[in-house]
Amino acid sequence: MNQENIMKGPAGIGLLAISAIVLLASFGYAIASLMSQGHAAFNATSTVPWGQPIATYLYFALASSGLGLIASLPLVFGFRKFYPVVKRCIFLAFAILISGMAVLALELGNVFRMLWVIPLNLQIQSAMFWMGVFYLVDLLFLLWKFQKLDAGEWDSKTSKQVGIGSFLAVLLASGNLALIFGMMSMRPFWLDGLLPIYFYLTAVASGLAALVFFTYLAHGFSRDNMSAPLRNLLEGALPKFFGAVLGGTLLFIAVRAITGMYSNNPEIHLVWSEYLFASPVYQASLWLGIVLPFVLMLTGSMRNQAGTQILVAVLVFGGLFAERFFFVVGGQVIPLFKGTWEWDILSYTPSATEWSLTIMGSALLFTLWVLGERLLNLSAMPPSAVMQEGPAAEAAAHA
Amino acid sequence: MKILQTLMTRRRFLKGSAAAGATGAAAGGLGELTGLAPVSEAQAQSPRGETTITKNICAQCPARCGIDVYTTNGRVHAIYGDTGNPIANGKLCPKGHLGTYFLYDPDRFKGPMKRTNPRKGRNEDPGFVPISWDEALDTIAGRLNRLREAGESHRFALFYGRGWGASDAGLQGDFGKLYGSPNVAIGHASMCAEGSKRAKQATDGNNSYNAYDYRNVNYILNFGASFLEAFRPYNYLMQMWGHMRSKSPQTRITTVDVRMNPTMAASDRALYIKPATDGAMALAIAHVILTEGLWEREFVGDFVDPEMRFRTGQTIPAGSFAEKWVHGLTEWWNEELKDRTPEWAESLTSISARDIVKTAREFGTTRPAIAIMERGPTAHTNGTYAGMAIHALNALVGSLWAEGGMFYQMGPSYGGLPVNAADYMDDWAKSGAWKSQPRIDKAGTAEWPMSGTMMQEAGPNHLKGDPYKMDTAMFFYTNPIWSAPNPQVWEEALKDVFVIDTSPFPGETAMYADIVVPDHTYLERLQDSPTYPFEGWPMAALRVPAVAPLYDTKSYGDTLIEIGKRINGPMGEYYKALDNVENVLRHRAKGFEADPGDNGVNSFESWKEKGVWYKKRYLWQQRRGEFYEWDGRGYNVRMSPDEVKAKLIKTPTGKFEFKSGFLEKHADYIERTLGVPAARAGLVQWVEARHTGQGDLYFVSPKTPLHAEGRGGNIPHAIANQQPIVGGRKTVYLEIHPDTARARGIRNGDKVRIKSNLGSIEAYCRYMPAHRPDTLVLPMEHGHWAQGRWAKGRLPGHSGDITENVSDPISGLACYYTGKVTVERA
Amino acid sequence: MAKWGMVIDLDKCTGCQACTTACAMENNTLPGESWQDVLFYHQGKYPSAQMKWLPRPCMQCENPSCVHVCPTRATYKDMDAGGIVFVDWNKCIGCKYCMIACPYGVRFYADEKPLLEPDLRDIFPGSNGQLWSPPYQNPEQDWKRGIGIQPAGVVSKCTFCYHKVSKAPAGTPDLDEAIPELKEYVPACVRTCAPKARFFGDLDNPESQVNRLIGDKHGVRLKDHTGNKPQVYYLGAGAGVPAFEPKPRS
Repeated sequence: MNQENIMKGPAGIGLLAISAIVLLASFGYAIASLMSQGHAAFNATSTVPWGQPIATYLYFALASSGLGLIASLPLVFGFRKFYPVVKRCIFLAFAILISGMAVLALELGNVFRMLWVIPLNLQIQSAMFWMGVFYLVDLLFLLWKFQKLDAGEWDSKTSKQVGIGSFLAVLLASGNLALIFGMMSMRPFWLDGLLPIYFYLTAVASGLAALVFFTYLAHGFSRDNMSAPLRNLLEGALPKFFGAVLGGTLLFIAVRAITGMYSNNPEIHLVWSEYLFASPVYQASLWLGIVLPFVLMLTGSMRNQAGTQILVAVLVFGGLFAERFFFVVGGQVIPLFKGTWEWDILSYTPSATEWSLTIMGSALLFTLWVLGERLLNLSAMPPSAVMQEGPAAEAAAHA
Repeated sequence: MKILQTLMTRRRFLKGSAAAGATGAAAGGLGELTGLAPVSEAQAQSPRGETTITKNICAQCPARCGIDVYTTNGRVHAIYGDTGNPIANGKLCPKGHLGTYFLYDPDRFKGPMKRTNPRKGRNEDPGFVPISWDEALDTIAGRLNRLREAGESHRFALFYGRGWGASDAGLQGDFGKLYGSPNVAIGHASMCAEGSKRAKQATDGNNSYNAYDYRNVNYILNFGASFLEAFRPYNYLMQMWGHMRSKSPQTRITTVDVRMNPTMAASDRALYIKPATDGAMALAIAHVILTEGLWEREFVGDFVDPEMRFRTGQTIPAGSFAEKWVHGLTEWWNEELKDRTPEWAESLTSISARDIVKTAREFGTTRPAIAIMERGPTAHTNGTYAGMAIHALNALVGSLWAEGGMFYQMGPSYGGLPVNAADYMDDWAKSGAWKSQPRIDKAGTAEWPMSGTMMQEAGPNHLKGDPYKMDTAMFFYTNPIWSAPNPQVWEEALKDVFVIDTSPFPGETAMYADIVVPDHTYLERLQDSPTYPFEGWPMAALRVPAVAPLYDTKSYGDTLIEIGKRINGPMGEYYKALDNVENVLRHRAKGFEADPGDNGVNSFESWKEKGVWYKKRYLWQQRRGEFYEWDGRGYNVRMSPDEVKAKLIKTPTGKFEFKSGFLEKHADYIERTLGVPAARAGLVQWVEARHTGQGDLYFVSPKTPLHAEGRGGNIPHAIANQQPIVGGRKTVYLEIHPDTARARGIRNGDKVRIKSNLGSIEAYCRYMPAHRPDTLVLPMEHGHWAQGRWAKGRLPGHSGDITENVSDPISGLACYYTGKVTVERA
Repeated sequence: MAKWGMVIDLDKCTGCQACTTACAMENNTLPGESWQDVLFYHQGKYPSAQMKWLPRPCMQCENPSCVHVCPTRATYKDMDAGGIVFVDWNKCIGCKYCMIACPYGVRFYADEKPLLEPDLRDIFPGSNGQLWSPPYQNPEQDWKRGIGIQPAGVVSKCTFCYHKVSKAPAGTPDLDEAIPELKEYVPACVRTCAPKARFFGDLDNPESQVNRLIGDKHGVRLKDHTGNKPQVYYLGAGAGVPAFEPKPRS
């Protein structure tokens, strides 16, 4: 293989150092302000209890799920063209999930208490309980799957079973995560039985953005450093898939927006008209972070260019992060039963501490990823026999 | 990151554990990390000391609600209404519960102090240093002795606001007599609600607020008395509101006010009136009552010829109406009322004639009905006349001294003091030159002949040196450097006065103090308090200390007695004999031995135990136009007109006067100050108000239910619930009609500047479409610059700063609500 | 066991907020942490505007959505305590999902930016793991039921003053503060209510005054469509809470 992973070289050390410094600095800042002020260091309040740390966790958890879903394309459904990214996918899914959980841990009031109160009380009515269960299972399957691939078991029976198990865990985890919001009838902006589908779509979109970005980063943003199958993937199936997923995301946002704006219920339509569409940040993130990338991915010539793909990945990072933020906060901005005490639609802007958690999560992701690239072979691919054994060949063999 | 916090908390806890242990804070969970191990066992158990309940009276407004103070392990932790107190009946208003803040206020003065910085001003740190009580009292007494020896004892003034009873403000009169100063003591009534008192003095001869029989009233016509916000006794009024609104028949209530407020909102009819025109509304109602024949004939009288009627615009012949308990009805009708039609009133008040007629018919046909008012209608230059017009309605429907009507308060059966001040007067006290000195506020002089007190004038007069300069001024429960209209003048005036403040709390006046002799807070005091006008029958409550004083403070009464002991001559002897407040109260309580209260209180000890002495028997009643006195079993003894005049209707004629003898005595003064022709001065009539401020919008600064007198701006929970109408939680918003705001380019939530001819203050505004577009509403609370850590620097500015010092010439009441302002974006 | 319920007569309520401050002092809540609050609404314009208000404790729902979502059973409905919904401060992990799920906005996370500066928590710093320790702290404490002053990182809410109510003699149909022997067992907000707009009693007892009032005066439950089935009933005009409207900005 002519692949050259720059993360294994000095660039990797540099990025690792920078990430680690940012990680330590942001973690240090967050801990210091939490220790001195408690959660008063957050701008989340009793009226908007879930702020940017929750949105960050949601963003990371769903990006992880998206990566998990992408990884199951080859491992479960036999889309072998995706083999060149599958190990990176799984590792990134793991790293992002860990980063998200770290952010959540600092958001909770009593994180260590979870360790005994959740298992001891088994509140199976709570979607939050299932979130813990499913994401834990998801995490374990990711590790197991990665261990299988790392051991070279690309096509064994166990490997396939683990793949299927992992796929199911991802579906359950992210689908259930959607229902944490979607089942809240007292928060009509969220109430939506189809919310899991929206979460799957946007999860894959953010997963693809992460995959594209980190794959290019690993190769110094140059396709010349990539293996041929990886290049083929980036010039073929992957951008098409990315474009399609972005289209689906856009469709979902449009449908939710139209339903919301059409509704008479002020707790839905005011969120759209007075909060989301009234916010320049939301407008920018929608048009630049989702619409523009979709347009860029529409034509084949644009879609296949490395520069476009990197740009789209970065734009989608921002677009979907904002989407998560406005989704989480949007469900809470109409004051519930506050009379004149809350004079208008609630406003929420993250505090420095809340930003430090988002930065910390991102820095942890970079740190883990660089370590992964350096210590593990994330570009590994199955033996050529497995690679070339396409569905057609498989069908022929069975015939 | 609970664990890290826990570590922090624990470290902090261990550091402060000695203090915490000493104060008896609940133990439990000591060495445990709550983040790591369940602490349910530890936290579920708390050492529970014995809880004691002591009797006290709330001190946050004049209502004097009896309270039960709950103390456990030496800490006061709860205050509830005293079930045995007839005002509280176990209930409280929102302020009452916050009383513990007064006790544990971190900004309290911790003991006597003297000033070290001779310069005085808003930005001057007084440089207070602690001194001993002896030094403080000796300094004050030394000063007073020197002044007296120099023949200038009139230059000592004692100002007081909320006096409670015999053990504080009740001691001041004798102090002034013995020491020899016309300025001991000057009360704050002219900055409070003197207008309604004067209106009643002018019409029924009682210079007093009324007592009311809300339990039996069927109709209330409420002119600007903030019944459900600040009218006293607020707590009891709410109890009665619940009763009136669910009794059979339900009491109907029409409220006339200048702004939307809870009383307006909860009434059956809310009528928005243009500020300072209540008198016109009342006159029009009187007009309708007379033209439609709805007056109470048994009280008022009737035409000699039963076929006669009052007809709009037409006079009636003299002698055609036989008056019973009223005086001057014919002149009133002929010279004033015949033209005061609802249409005329509509043009002044902006209330439609239709609503005026409806209200008048309801009021005139429902018995018993009362018309009530307070400083809303009377804090204008025409306030006394407006109050008289309103009170005249009570006479027309015969509700004076009637069941379901209104009357006046009786005093308690107190015993005498152990010594008589008259026996301790030296020559100076008896006939010193001070006797010919006017008061510093000129109340009772040619300048304010009809006012009993004019505290708002004292500062400006001192500044002018007219009639003279004060040397020493002492303050009890009053803070004129903040609360007087145009207090900037006081800020300047008190710079060269030796100021003694007795407040337990920092305040603007205290920042000017040369000596601070802090009082106890009310939960630490032994203090009596006869009731404010309530239901008429006598009552006297007692404050019993719930805990020993937390700091080195002294009750004001004792401070006064201790100063008195140090005055040379017989005065000192008098105070040595008086000894202390407890001794005073023990002697007062001796009166109960002969006249035990309904609750069995017949001694000082039982008074302390029950917290209140009362006799639920008012002695007089007017029934179907006759007055009766209580004979022990019922209102059976019919009273002669002379007895009525002596005991009840204390006017020159012994009748309710639509043509006031009291005003006619001062007719020339009234003509000079108000432009009312001297010949007409006695009539209940319409007089145009003179508005101050030179702006285009009316400006009112109401008192909200959470305004704790003198302290509300520094009580966190009060601040946080201050202004629910527009969500004033950290600040108090200027409430402005959106049309008014838009016309001036002001957006909802903008910071605005409110300007009068005196200057400007800033506030954040909120749109309130339920208010009059010509009226701005800014609840009075904030703008303090020295009240404590929470009050400081909190917008809005102080409404007093843009309120001109103009008073009703008759009552002397400062016209707080008459200023007109402009508003613009800041 | 009784099923404790509250009845609030809006025709008698004067909007004074004594319930709010009585609760705040009884339960030592921070400014803004109003377990019991009075909400004000106004509609219309001068001269025919209306203003109304709504006292709002925790509804102690029969079918509490906050309990369903809690991942740790920290918030629970205690049928042995009259159906009161409690938060066990030893179990709460501070995820705030219950605050999201409560349709009535009556749950608080006091570990937040202070409503007022200076922060009371700095002036009376917490000891014993409490968020703050004012000198006037109520000695009653039971963290398993969210009574007392909470530690950092947990959710707090109205307990119907269970530390008082629980001491009432068993079988009492109504905890009426007008009966001197019962007044110490009455929730603070009910006990102090001057116009007597609040009543507290056993909803399971058909003889109770609360049930009579609900019957005679057509008691309604707020936001009944949520299916939460509050144990708090409102009487009289004014229970119709206007839908949220954004305020005009200019």
